Amino acid sequence: MECIDYQDVDIFHSGHVACAGCVEALSLRVILNIVGQDAVAVVPPSCTAVICGIYPNSALSIPAFHTSLESAAATASGVKRALLAKGKPDTTVLCLAGDGGTYDIGLQSLSSAAERNEDILYICFDNEGYMNTGGQKSSSTPEGAATGSTPLGKTTRKKNLVDIMAAHRVPYITTTSPGHILDMKAKVKKALQIKGTKIIIVLIPCLAGWGVADDAGIKAARMAVDSGIFPLYEVEDGERYTVNQLARTQSVKPYLALQKRYRHISEEQVEQLQIHTDKAWQQLLLRADQQQ
Amino acid sequence: MEPQASPLWTTRTTLDRKTGTWRDAIPDYRTLPSPCLGACPVNGHIADWIGHIRKQEYHAAWLVLMDNNPFPAIAGRICHHPCETACNRQYLDESISICALERFVGDMALAKDWSLPSSDLVKKEKVAVVGAGPAGLSAAYQLRRRGLQVTLFESQNQLGGLMRYGIPAYRLEKRVLDGEIQRILDLGVIVEHRPITTQQQLEQLQNSFDAIYLATGAARSKTLPVLDYAKPWVIDSVEFLATTNANKSHPTGQHLIVIGGGSAAMDVARTARRLGKSVTVLTLEPAGHLPAQHTEVEEALEEGIRFVSGAMLQQVNEQTDGLELTCIEVEFTAGYRKGEFTIKPKSGTAFTLKANAIVPSIGQDANYAIWGESFKAQGPILKTGSDWQTEKKGIFAGGDLASMERFVTHAVGMGKQAAAAIAHYLEGQSPTSDEKTVAAVSIDTINTYYYPQQDRIDQQKLPSRQRLQNFDEVQQPLQEVQAEAEAIRCFSCGTCIYCDNCYAYCPDMAITKLEKGYAIKSDYCKGCGLCVAECPTGSIVMQKEYEEITQ
Amino acid sequence: MSYTAKRLLLTGNHAVAWAVKRVRPHVAPLYPITPQTPILEKLTDFQSKGELEGTELLTPESEHSAMAACISASLTGVRVFTATSSQGLLLMHELLHYAAGARARIVLFNVNRTPASPWGFWPDQLDSLSQRDTGWVQLYSESPQESLDTTIQAYRIAELIGVPIMISHDAFYVSHAMEPVEVPSQQQVDEFLPPFACDHFLDPKRGQSFGAPLDQQNWNRSRREMAAAMARVFAAVTDAGKKWGETSGRDYAPLECYRMDGATTVIVTMGSMCGTAREAVDALQDKGNRVGLLKVRLFRPFPVAALKEALAGVSCAIVLDRNFSCGLGGILHQELKAALYGLKPAPKIHGLLSGVGGVNVSVNKIKQWVSEYAGAVPVNESLWVE
Repeated sequence: MECIDYQDVDIFHSGHVACAGCVEALSLRVILNIVGQDAVAVVPPSCTAVICGIYPNSALSIPAFHTSLESAAATASGVKRALLAKGKPDTTVLCLAGDGGTYDIGLQSLSSAAERNEDILYICFDNEGYMNTGGQKSSSTPEGAATGSTPLGKTTRKKNLVDIMAAHRVPYITTTSPGHILDMKAKVKKALQIKGTKIIIVLIPCLAGWGVADDAGIKAARMAVDSGIFPLYEVEDGERYTVNQLARTQSVKPYLALQKRYRHISEEQVEQLQIHTDKAWQQLLLRADQQQ
Repeated sequence: MEPQASPLWTTRTTLDRKTGTWRDAIPDYRTLPSPCLGACPVNGHIADWIGHIRKQEYHAAWLVLMDNNPFPAIAGRICHHPCETACNRQYLDESISICALERFVGDMALAKDWSLPSSDLVKKEKVAVVGAGPAGLSAAYQLRRRGLQVTLFESQNQLGGLMRYGIPAYRLEKRVLDGEIQRILDLGVIVEHRPITTQQQLEQLQNSFDAIYLATGAARSKTLPVLDYAKPWVIDSVEFLATTNANKSHPTGQHLIVIGGGSAAMDVARTARRLGKSVTVLTLEPAGHLPAQHTEVEEALEEGIRFVSGAMLQQVNEQTDGLELTCIEVEFTAGYRKGEFTIKPKSGTAFTLKANAIVPSIGQDANYAIWGESFKAQGPILKTGSDWQTEKKGIFAGGDLASMERFVTHAVGMGKQAAAAIAHYLEGQSPTSDEKTVAAVSIDTINTYYYPQQDRIDQQKLPSRQRLQNFDEVQQPLQEVQAEAEAIRCFSCGTCIYCDNCYAYCPDMAITKLEKGYAIKSDYCKGCGLCVAECPTGSIVMQKEYEEITQ
Repeated sequence: MSYTAKRLLLTGNHAVAWAVKRVRPHVAPLYPITPQTPILEKLTDFQSKGELEGTELLTPESEHSAMAACISASLTGVRVFTATSSQGLLLMHELLHYAAGARARIVLFNVNRTPASPWGFWPDQLDSLSQRDTGWVQLYSESPQESLDTTIQAYRIAELIGVPIMISHDAFYVSHAMEPVEVPSQQQVDEFLPPFACDHFLDPKRGQSFGAPLDQQNWNRSRREMAAAMARVFAAVTDAGKKWGETSGRDYAPLECYRMDGATTVIVTMGSMCGTAREAVDALQDKGNRVGLLKVRLFRPFPVAALKEALAGVSCAIVLDRNFSCGLGGILHQELKAALYGLKPAPKIHGLLSGVGGVNVSVNKIKQWVSEYAGAVPVNESLWVE
């Protein structure tokens, strides 16, 4: 079997307050280990902000700047420009944002940073809702999912952020999952080689928010990918699409059945979801010009 | 006075917070028995030696095998492999070719002439092992490893018992048998070619040895009452095989009927085919339920043997052109204990078969009455306690003499256990109570995500036309690249493979990598169980730390 | 030490751009809004000619993002500048609190313009005055020269104390009005401004994180520290103004007392109206009236002690507000009354809502209001005047 093979650098500390089994903390660990010590993180309000620590304790060895919810990308731009002015072009500036701060209130500043092709690494931990404030919907919440503000299930579909940002012609945007750590590692390494705006979306099954067991975060992420609901793919320079996992090995049903947030979903809605997933998948393959 | 730190800039790390207080269960690293180990008659550490194969550490694999079984090349050819039936991999695709892998290692040991490291242990006690079949040889081996003085008594000219005289060369070539037996003798086992078949001879041994292991097998063939064994056209199966093994032949005529559905019956039938005979096998057991190994039946069919199953012989009539056998279909119901069954003839289903000779192969009985009053009459096998000791102090027994498990590897396992029991006895220790049995690793605890689907690699067989021309081995060995590919499919149930998954998947960095193995940071582990979920071998168990409060 | 300054004909906005050129910030995030745009355009013009090397000019999609970038750049340990007006300043509001709480050393130049609704582009100081609770130091300029000089001084103060500063001048009256302006030399400014330095900044080597949530005690403490910093600003503004006077010949102070010796009536105001009021005072003095002008230059921290001292013995103060806080009245009026509370004897204070929405305030009008209100009985409310 393919082993993960890495030794932590002392960059992310135990003692943080992520929920037991939180795969966002796990993803943070993976990413930070590759980014390394010569970095500054920008963190808007999100689960990551809480994980990064309450004063006076920080969970990170690198400095983190806690910023307002709308402005992760703008804040990162400020840091990056300041570092450039100081003659430190190689220090990585990265955003560690949630889907709220990326798809919704933060989309404007992200769009602008991307249009300017600011040299930042933007990580979006996408747990498909405002989980830090208790689990309200975001525009990343998929159709049918129950949240604190959509108790009967959200009626609109998940926003496709990859397409939106690909249209900005960012040099690199990709989707990743904590169930596919080797893929995630390779993509972070690849992104760090590129100058310009790099965006990595990490699907984070939220244990409390989605209603998944403490030890099932990785399993849920894998099912999301295997069913085609969350395909792993890359878009380079807004035009070259590459699907990283071409095999779809299950229908959407077992993935939905794993989560309490889909408890009330009807058979018709499941079928609808399957149709949407299949169609989106086919469109993606066409764009990527790849065969399944 | 030092100014207070700014409330805007952090000064410490989260290591101050001991999140270990959150949990109620902590992961515990355990080596647990794999289902193959549980099913293996010698309790071989299969996950371990397959692990060595994966790393191309063939000598290390061989040493692990040899610890429990001195006959890996033999067992890799003829074992009935209950390990493969129990193997967890079957729940993903197909079980591992464990038997073929064992053969691969055993053959390499013979080819490279590997020898065992000699033991420094020297004990003065002397043990007599009567019978150099699989049980006796296994016991002699394990006793010698413990430094005891061993004398092996064998009435036949050569050692090996049924392994030599029962199993045909196309299943186990003599060169392999000789090689693995010689290795045991090279440890310093004294061999005496004389029988111990009377009460007096047994008592002599009791006087000159500190302990005795009786492993004379079950040499007495069961007989069918409907057959007249004095007739020249009734040939006992053991005799048939022994004669062929000695390169002599029986005047049997062209067509043989073999009665019986076990491995011995298959050996007879397939041997007869190689002698150019046409063969029909008549079994009480219905098709698909023969006690012989599935592959043996398959190969027999490929070799042109006809099966008439679910029927019994009622009468034989001698005629001018041969024999006419009157048979009838039966309802066969297996009994509770091994070897027991009931049959009910189905009226109106009589039929006839033609043959030149009949070779009944319906099982063997043990014969302990030869030792007179040493043992009182007590049923088909010599009774022993859980430590393999008979009613006579210091006399132990095993193999077909003392058990109804009629498989070679079971005999090897019994010999091993008896050697341990004899060693305890000689040290004046009471028999050890059974260790608390630990349940074997279930497929539920294996994360099969880490094992991509891959077809099982089986050994190739010689084409059936080619087989009948001689007694060359039918099953062809695996190539090294095949052995590696098959070893990679093994889940290593219950034995850590140091893949680092637990370390890598912990969101709290609460697992430390040691030189070999891992430790949990009790201060920080939140008890989420991700490590357990992502362990591909099921070697971590969540251990509750507090008593459940019940009202 | 003599420096070679140059005299240019500059609008208020261009004068600010020249100040920024001299100050050489490392990062300048800017978003255009009428009537601030000439500041931005002049800076990009300088940059395109290679005259603004070393400054990262950043044009994000909104003022909110511009301020976000200012704060983080400042906390990365560099000198920062931005400029805005009205809607833009209001959009930054959330982050103005953020910047002050962060002790960011930002200098922001604001062009005072009416906030919507309804839409207007007229001089009115409500935009900046409504930010008076955010913790920013506020200075008001009446002329292009003052805008240039104050911008330079602001960096010295902000970087010394660790507090953000906004300087405002009125839309069109100052921003677009042209006058001869003395632009100091680079050397002069370099010697006046020490290099940027701060105790804490984002540094991978130090690893300290900024802005993590904290408990009540520590939040309370952060405010006390801001209070302590703000308490040092008055002296720093005075000091910077004096020092600038030494180097340029133009000195400045938190308050300017114009012809107040022996004045019985004092006009109190901020920004461009000071210029008009100066003329009215001269005209009235020529007629024998003992009228003076108290120009409020430093609005935050509100210079309570200095105001008490300046107005002690004055029998009447007429406050002219070019702003209106609905439900309160003229902000300078009401704050002045609060500041003078307890002063014995206290002047009679009148508050006139004289320039709200940018309506023209002429010299004659001011003379008229002086004659109307100097002897009148004051009321609590700020009064609408035509």
